[in-house]
Amino acid sequence: MSFDKFKDTIEQGDTVILYLNVNSMHAIQVQPKIKNKKDEWVENVFQTTYGALKVQSLVGKKFGTKVALSRGWAYVLHPTPELWTLTLPHRTQIIYTPDISMIIFQLEIRPGSVVVESGTGSGSLSHALIRCIKPQGHLYTFDFHEYRVSVAREEFETHGIGQYVSVKQQDVCQDGFGTELNGKADALFLDLPHPWEAVPHAAAVIKDLGKLNQTYRFEGQSNDFLTVEGLPKELSVKMIWRDVYTNSLFTNF
Amino acid sequence: MDKSINCGVARRMANEMEKNNVKVGDYIVIQRQNYTKLHKVTLKGIVMLGKDQLELGPIIGRPVWKTYKMIPKKNGKRVFVLKECDNYESLAEQLKKDVSCGSDNRNIFDDGRSQLLSTEEIVSLRTSGMSGQAIVGQLIENSKTFRDKTEYSQEKYLKKKEKKYFEYITIRWPTIRLITEVMYRTDPLKIMGLRMDTLSQILTIVGIHTHGTYMVYESGCQGLVAAAMLNNINIGGQLVHIHPGNLPQKQAILAMNYDNDKMSCLISVNIYSLLRKLQENSASDENNVEVNKKESVINESFLSESESDNKAIKNEENSSNDVIDTKENVITEKGSGSGRLVCDSLKKDDKEFVEEKEITLNVVHERKRKHSDPGESMSKKPRWELETEKAADFLRPSKADGLVIISREHPSNILTALLPYVAPSRPFIIFCPYREPLLEIYIQLKRKNNTVGLRVTETWLRSHQILPSRTHPDILMSGSGGYLLTGIVVECSTSTNTQESGSSLQ
Repeated sequence: MSFDKFKDTIEQGDTVILYLNVNSMHAIQVQPKIKNKKDEWVENVFQTTYGALKVQSLVGKKFGTKVALSRGWAYVLHPTPELWTLTLPHRTQIIYTPDISMIIFQLEIRPGSVVVESGTGSGSLSHALIRCIKPQGHLYTFDFHEYRVSVAREEFETHGIGQYVSVKQQDVCQDGFGTELNGKADALFLDLPHPWEAVPHAAAVIKDLGKLNQTYRFEGQSNDFLTVEGLPKELSVKMIWRDVYTNSLFTNF
Repeated sequence: MDKSINCGVARRMANEMEKNNVKVGDYIVIQRQNYTKLHKVTLKGIVMLGKDQLELGPIIGRPVWKTYKMIPKKNGKRVFVLKECDNYESLAEQLKKDVSCGSDNRNIFDDGRSQLLSTEEIVSLRTSGMSGQAIVGQLIENSKTFRDKTEYSQEKYLKKKEKKYFEYITIRWPTIRLITEVMYRTDPLKIMGLRMDTLSQILTIVGIHTHGTYMVYESGCQGLVAAAMLNNINIGGQLVHIHPGNLPQKQAILAMNYDNDKMSCLISVNIYSLLRKLQENSASDENNVEVNKKESVINESFLSESESDNKAIKNEENSSNDVIDTKENVITEKGSGSGRLVCDSLKKDDKEFVEEKEITLNVVHERKRKHSDPGESMSKKPRWELETEKAADFLRPSKADGLVIISREHPSNILTALLPYVAPSRPFIIFCPYREPLLEIYIQLKRKNNTVGLRVTETWLRSHQILPSRTHPDILMSGSGGYLLTGIVVECSTSTNTQESGSSLQ
């Protein structure tokens, strides 16, 4: 349920984003017990620099509210693809929100689109694509790494969006995307070491008027080519104020 | 070419519209090489593409994505009729084949006299109806230096000539991407310098789900952001499009050729009316025992600021009068009757509003209660009021899932007014072509406790030329695409935290 629809209250099994500050957030799975490094089931207690959190106590709390930690507090936020991108466990280098936005924009993805993606990687882009295309669209994502495929599949299920995505282990450069997908894709995205090898297979899969996007810096669509690079710049904002009558300094950020 | 889907997934709505035939009243994008233009199809359509006049009759009833050849009407002027064709031939390929090339430019001297044909001769070739390829062929033959140029230089020359003499156009169906490109290229100031990468970030960060409720306050962007957000919403979702003045800017919304289903998800309301409606119902509800306690708390706080806010909103409307260069009739302070849609109840509002500025808070409450007497609601309500009520009905019980503000005016008080109607743990995002207003708002928001994850960002975008051995970034680059302030709304904690918490430094 977590990523499919918004809800107000945290329930068992939800994914929750624990927000400490703008640069420190963690994704937590709300379940009573968790496996530790020795593969034993232990009580699910999440440790932060501001103290410990008994994860079970989150059940019944509302999203967007403060929760107490043993040495401070934090906010619990509803999971979104953007927050997931910042907190997911990396299995590969991931794509971040500014590039994800550009990809979705250039590929003209909208509700109902059928999208093909390779490689799946850690699923950062996949979550954003799924949000865009559901409930009637579908994402077909491919990766040649067995472990990554199984983890991705599991994550999509846990996040309540498994119905909108099919993950398959396949080397698309060698074997293509599968003939059942021929002519079905509205959009296709390649993020591979050698994307040019997959292009002939990609051409078969894309519909007449579909779009192809390669390693998020190319776009091919009949004769339309665009290559861009984008760099997000974050501004750090501080207010420093000196009161000349009391000679005290205030900093507000 | 109908391919049925067996993959176990439902129907695909996405590219249905691209198989459309062109009808009168549709908006289309005419593309000639890299030049794109938005155009509304009329029966005897004539469109100017640069200095060329095209008669668009043949495209009506034909599918989009067709290519047409521009055939000159031989009357001496640059008027063309269109003839459908399968594809176009690239001049560069054709003409380069038979010509030898040099190795570098050491012997090429640019004295402006390499072309033996005079300007008049070239112009006469053009008006005589000669094909583009033939004209360029003539230019090459009469060029002293063409054969000495390097291969790359020849290609560049041909591409340049091709751009001028290209005689094929393609008809395309508008998409958000295309419309943004057209608008940004034609006049970026009309969309406040909203570059496509910034727009794409707005759309992703506000995180549109097809069945969610979203608010967008837009003034001065031709409806582009509303059109883009509406693109991702389907029946079941709502987009509350808030604007100053009587009529919203809708250019981009119209250009997308949205059907009735899609348009039913869009509610356009004036900000002043919306806020009044949201306020007024909760003011009368205060006497009602069953009212949602939290809601009235929030609206109380809004009411207590309402005097300054209303002043601010009024000032905003006045300044928007000056700044927005539209033909809309804006609600004026004296109700001077220049507004076409100003009706009786609204005029009364305005007059009383002028008085309100001198009155204290208590009287504001009284006035609001006056408005909720039943006699007034019995009279037939004008359309705008029904729309406003509809919007208020969506926002009151369960608040919006996201808020986007993109305004010519300073966004600060607009944010303060609309933020209470965003649900907790939902994103909000403000666009501004300049950074200073966003920095002020950042500081203000940091002082309150109702938002987290505040970020002010700007994106740097550069395009590249990709050609064999000639790949490099393009020489010209856009300086700025505007700034974004993003954050997540959280519930204001009512209890004061006595613990010293490291995270409180934020």
